Amino acid sequence: MSADTFDIQAVSPMREGPAERKGNAVANVERSEFVLEVNNFSVDYGVGENMVRAVNDVTLHLRRSKVLGVAGESGSGKSTLVYAMTRLLRAPGVISGGSVTLNFTSRDDEKEFTTLNLVTASEKELRKIRWSHVSIVLQSALSALNPVLRVGREFDEVLKTHRPDMSKAQRRARAVELLTMVGLNDDRLARYPHELSGGQRQRIMIALALALDPDLVIMDEPTTALDVVTQREIISELHDLRSRFGFALIFITHDLSLLVELADEIVVMYAGEIVERAGASELYEAPRHPYTLGLLNSFPPLHGPRRELSGIPGSPPDLSDLPAGCNFYPRCPFAMSRCENEAPALTAIENSDRSVACWLHSSDSSVPVPVELSRTVNPARNPVTTLKERP
Amino acid sequence: MRMIIRRLSLYALTAWVAITVNFLLPRLMPGNPVQTMIGKLTGQVTAAEMNAIQLSFGGSFKQGLFAQYFTYLTQLFHGNFGSSITLGAPVGAILRESVPWTVGLIGVSTIVSFAVGTFAGALLGWTRGSRLDSLIPTATFFQAIPYFFLGTVMLLVFASNLHWFPVLGAYSQNATPGWNWNFVGNVIRYGELPVISIVLSSIAGWMLGMRNMMITMVGEDFVLMAVAKGLPRRKVIMHAARNAILPSIANLSLAIGLVVSGALLVELVFNYPGVGDLLLQAVLNEDYPLIQGIFLVITLTVLCANLIADVVYLALDPRTRTEAAV
Repeated sequence: MSADTFDIQAVSPMREGPAERKGNAVANVERSEFVLEVNNFSVDYGVGENMVRAVNDVTLHLRRSKVLGVAGESGSGKSTLVYAMTRLLRAPGVISGGSVTLNFTSRDDEKEFTTLNLVTASEKELRKIRWSHVSIVLQSALSALNPVLRVGREFDEVLKTHRPDMSKAQRRARAVELLTMVGLNDDRLARYPHELSGGQRQRIMIALALALDPDLVIMDEPTTALDVVTQREIISELHDLRSRFGFALIFITHDLSLLVELADEIVVMYAGEIVERAGASELYEAPRHPYTLGLLNSFPPLHGPRRELSGIPGSPPDLSDLPAGCNFYPRCPFAMSRCENEAPALTAIENSDRSVACWLHSSDSSVPVPVELSRTVNPARNPVTTLKERP
Repeated sequence: MRMIIRRLSLYALTAWVAITVNFLLPRLMPGNPVQTMIGKLTGQVTAAEMNAIQLSFGGSFKQGLFAQYFTYLTQLFHGNFGSSITLGAPVGAILRESVPWTVGLIGVSTIVSFAVGTFAGALLGWTRGSRLDSLIPTATFFQAIPYFFLGTVMLLVFASNLHWFPVLGAYSQNATPGWNWNFVGNVIRYGELPVISIVLSSIAGWMLGMRNMMITMVGEDFVLMAVAKGLPRRKVIMHAARNAILPSIANLSLAIGLVVSGALLVELVFNYPGVGDLLLQAVLNEDYPLIQGIFLVITLTVLCANLIADVVYLALDPRTRTEAAV
């Protein structure tokens, strides 16, 4: 392993990253532009009669150094999706189909690009890619940190496991460097989790997730348990870190207005299926699916004019008793007779790179698309100031 | 530091209360130990003899209660527990003779039971639902049998009939007590069966406690994180076990506190020369100084065990170190 692996200060310009740093011309040709490819992925809870499908036929492709936002209500399958993807899902969760391909640069040989199907990978293979290539940040940092270990031990442990040739002093130096990166003093290393504030704990989790310079970081509602001010700070820091180190990020939340600031692309999940996929600002300003519109109306926007919050009527669907047609049909304000019996598939909208699963946008639909769902993006009129556009 | 001092002073206070109660209790009871003893003596006792007896058991009872208490404390402080009525020897010497046997036997058994049970419990919790789970009913079965019965049957089968183990006592009658390998080996040989029987009858508690905590811990986020970090399985289990063991440590302190007092049945069954046996004799003979001495030792062991457990718990769980606002 070369010495510069940890020299993160030396990393390259904005929005490029490990790919450009490590690769050379030949290797870049061979390497997939996607860090993660999820195809027709399904996850069940339980087997047999009591089986419930929590994730149904999800296909996702995440480019290197991009941010994918996954949004949806509680129980929409968004967390299940990422835990199953990384093979962290516990019983009774079972992967029932599909493939998850991780494309990463092997640490043993910097020029070697490796592809691993996470669904079929052995425990040993998984241990190798875990944390060094895919790391994860959970919602509650308090329960994600071992309560009886000092924070420093957590850093020491991952470095010791994945970088056995590092000395104790090097590991310590790396931990201090990581803490500094997230704006914490190195005296935090000697603290126990319960001695830190919620924001500090979540920063430590983020620093920990970046310890091994991973290709992909997954964050499951990392800011939900924090107050809005801290939420804001962390999102902004996250954005800086991401541009510095170029890791790809999957960010799960139910707060679309937060997501639009950070994400390049957003998928909206409902009842275990993707109902809409679009670029972040397109989705935010011009939603196409009634459910996305409902989600947007449930949160106050971080920028722009005030508007009335309406929420979504009804409650999330019972996965063991889904409607025959569109899953969202019972709650949809624009429901048509067709929606009751026929389930719409996720289809691309013409002349755009977005897709939606809704009969309203079907080419053979006789009903005109409601005005709320046919807005167009007009950056000049109502610009969303996002972090991405800041200098 | 302040907290340690506070705890220590709390323990000192508890010890003082225990000693005082120990002093007062026999004096609150009706009757008089000397009278009881004299009553047992057949024939006439002269006044001079009576006085001599009284003097040998801690002086005159004509002293006021407070003066008696003061004498008691002073004597105690000098390590003088008085003399046993039936054995005629100083109580301190008798206790020095028997306490090590009990502490050795029950202490070793408790620690073995705790270590094996906790380890097994951690494994069972981790591999929940595997075939290993059948260990649980087996262990509970042994715990459910009354110890007296279990001990007797084991003694009968493995020692008397199969001759796998020596039968009675703490060491062979031919052995000369002393600190040499011969004698220590002999003591260990004689201790095997009692230790096995105690471990068998107590292991289920440790195992179940640890297993249940382990199952709870396995569901915690930090264990999921340990897996996500790509740690080897052994380390992941350690993450869970390190937290799951905390309640067991608290229970261990209680169990250690009972080391001296809980030995009665074991020592009875295996004819072991420890405190339990001694206490039984003392009670049967109404040997007040001895009973008092034993009670004091039991109380102080419980206190010491709790103190040790407190310190260990503080070391193991950083959350308990935070001082509560007073």
